[in-house]
Amino acid sequence: MIQVRALTKVFPQGPKAVDELDLTVNDGEILGLLGPNGAGKTTTIRVLSTLCGFDSGSVTVAGHDVDKEPEKVRQSIGLVAQNTGIDYFLTGRENLELQGQMYRMKKADIKTRIEELANYFELSDSLDRTVATYSGGMRRKLDIATALIHRPKLVFLDEPTLGLDIKSRKMLWNYIEKLNKEWGITILLTTHYLEEADKLADRVAIINAGQISVVDTPEALKNAISGDAISLSFEKRDAACQQYAAALQQNAHVKDLMWQGNNLHIYVDRGADCIPEITALATQHGARILTLGLSRPTLDDVFLRYTGTSMEGSADDGDSGDEWWKQWAGKGGGGKWEKQWSEGQQEGEGGDWQGNDWSQEGGGDWQGNDWSQASATDTNTAAEQPRPAQQDASAQPGQADKKPEQTTAATQSEADQSDAQDQKDWPRDSGKEWPNKQWPSDK
Amino acid sequence: MLADTWYLFNKFMKITIRMPMWTLFTLVQPLIWLVIFGQLFKNITQLPGFPTENYMDFFVPGVLIMTVLFGSSWSGVSLLREIQSGTVDKMLASPVSRVAIVLSRVLHSTAQVVAQVFIMLLVAWILGAQLNLNPIYLILTTLVIILLGLCFASVSNGFAIMLQREEPLVIIGNLMTLPLMFFSTALVPASFMPGWIEYISMANPINYAVEAVRAVLVGEPNLGAFVMPFIILLVVTGAALWWAVAAFNTLRD
Repeated sequence: MIQVRALTKVFPQGPKAVDELDLTVNDGEILGLLGPNGAGKTTTIRVLSTLCGFDSGSVTVAGHDVDKEPEKVRQSIGLVAQNTGIDYFLTGRENLELQGQMYRMKKADIKTRIEELANYFELSDSLDRTVATYSGGMRRKLDIATALIHRPKLVFLDEPTLGLDIKSRKMLWNYIEKLNKEWGITILLTTHYLEEADKLADRVAIINAGQISVVDTPEALKNAISGDAISLSFEKRDAACQQYAAALQQNAHVKDLMWQGNNLHIYVDRGADCIPEITALATQHGARILTLGLSRPTLDDVFLRYTGTSMEGSADDGDSGDEWWKQWAGKGGGGKWEKQWSEGQQEGEGGDWQGNDWSQEGGGDWQGNDWSQASATDTNTAAEQPRPAQQDASAQPGQADKKPEQTTAATQSEADQSDAQDQKDWPRDSGKEWPNKQWPSDK
Repeated sequence: MLADTWYLFNKFMKITIRMPMWTLFTLVQPLIWLVIFGQLFKNITQLPGFPTENYMDFFVPGVLIMTVLFGSSWSGVSLLREIQSGTVDKMLASPVSRVAIVLSRVLHSTAQVVAQVFIMLLVAWILGAQLNLNPIYLILTTLVIILLGLCFASVSNGFAIMLQREEPLVIIGNLMTLPLMFFSTALVPASFMPGWIEYISMANPINYAVEAVRAVLVGEPNLGAFVMPFIILLVVTGAALWWAVAAFNTLRD
């Protein structure tokens, strides 16, 4: 459905947004393009959907070259961009109708198609209300529905669940999955939610700094990292820690080892059995472990493996697809609505990670979050729990209280950094929650 | 392309009709001008060489053109909003004609100012202005209004695409409307202007629009005095429209 060869796109004021990118999307699959903000996801989607030119490479979408036959490409794709492209002052029906007219569909056809889509997305009751009265989840549904009006074979979903609460997110996942399974629509999905890629995608392509690092099924990617992941966090990555890490490397159980800031990820075969040895080794080297977590490898670990510790740096490059904004934003240091926007973004998405994903579900993306559970669990029960559990490394109840503070402080400084980044990378790709929770970044 | 334009134009009209207050608000300023300037300059007619007896008669064409200016020069702001909200991207990803996207927007602004102008005409007539209400002259007036509306809506959209931000666009809008109005014969006849302003006014499309409307709407209708300014306006508007479409075509980055 999509063939991309050596695609390169350079923005005048920035580094390469997309650098020799190769990607193939097969008919009928959901391919998840997973990567941090600024990795080039949105730029790739914009090139594929003919919104944006490129410097070199070849791009074929639905059998047509995007450069030579953009019209034919447009006719066969549906685009759901990050910003909802629907009109708030029109009703749902009018939005769908207009979209149908834009694709030059016949009147009767538009009508039957609207019925079909409204039924499918359960929007029939609210079809004649203005979109302004819709909830965030409904707007998204309508947005996706408008992109489907002309029965495209291929749909691009750019961060489809960004800014939605967990309930709407799950609802959308169901719709997206059904679109693919029942209607046979090929979907290229970008996301920086690991869980989303894991749940929806048949194959995941990890994109970083404008290049695809690896493409495979989520299972295969996770299986490549066998055994369990133990993650330790330290106050500082000092000499003692380095010695400790070096000692771990010599240990027979340890299969792989990776630093990410002050966090050390250790991959072993049977995590629970190794923990006593690992903690003993830490004491021996004088490395004081703040927290310790044990989990099955997640896509997070996969991501870490393939992109190493360069995440912060790559986010800096920005998805510079917004040259027209940057032109001014760069000089003025952020105008009126730049601020408004990022505030809105905080409000909209702040709620996202605070209570839902991880604390309740335990199986969240990033294993270090179940603080309340953590202090109560000891080594043995953790081993029995199939899902990630948190452990108190030094088993002192008093210390459990300190840990949340520790994280808050770390999160805070990360948030500050991402604020600074927002100023630069504004607006398309600067989701607030990303550096904080989903993939803790390296510093 | 025409069908696309029509559908998009319809969409904008629907939105406008749902928010009639906005159209009314943009009327407030010209209405204030009409009343305040009408009173303020009332006695100017006693100066030797003033073309009409009643200042209102002289001022009505000027204030109509001002309505057009204030009504159409902010057209680009809503384009920016649509670019920002992703609506434009969604349209660009569809096979819709690129020209239609600009054209529908410009036409919508124009339709809006034409409606406003008729309200203003009604108010002026109530206030006692002596107007030529013959349909032919009203049609000619409307043509000028349409041209000027197209012209300034195009310029505003062109700048919107060039500048990509609201603040500078508003500054340009202000820069465009107020001085252009004062550098024209909207308020005082050319003979009352200092020489240098008169020279500037010769390069001012507003000036020609005012002259053209004045030639047919008030006093003794003079088609001869209408034709020249009208042609100049036609050329300027064509250029503005072309520029806006060209600017929009560069939007693909």
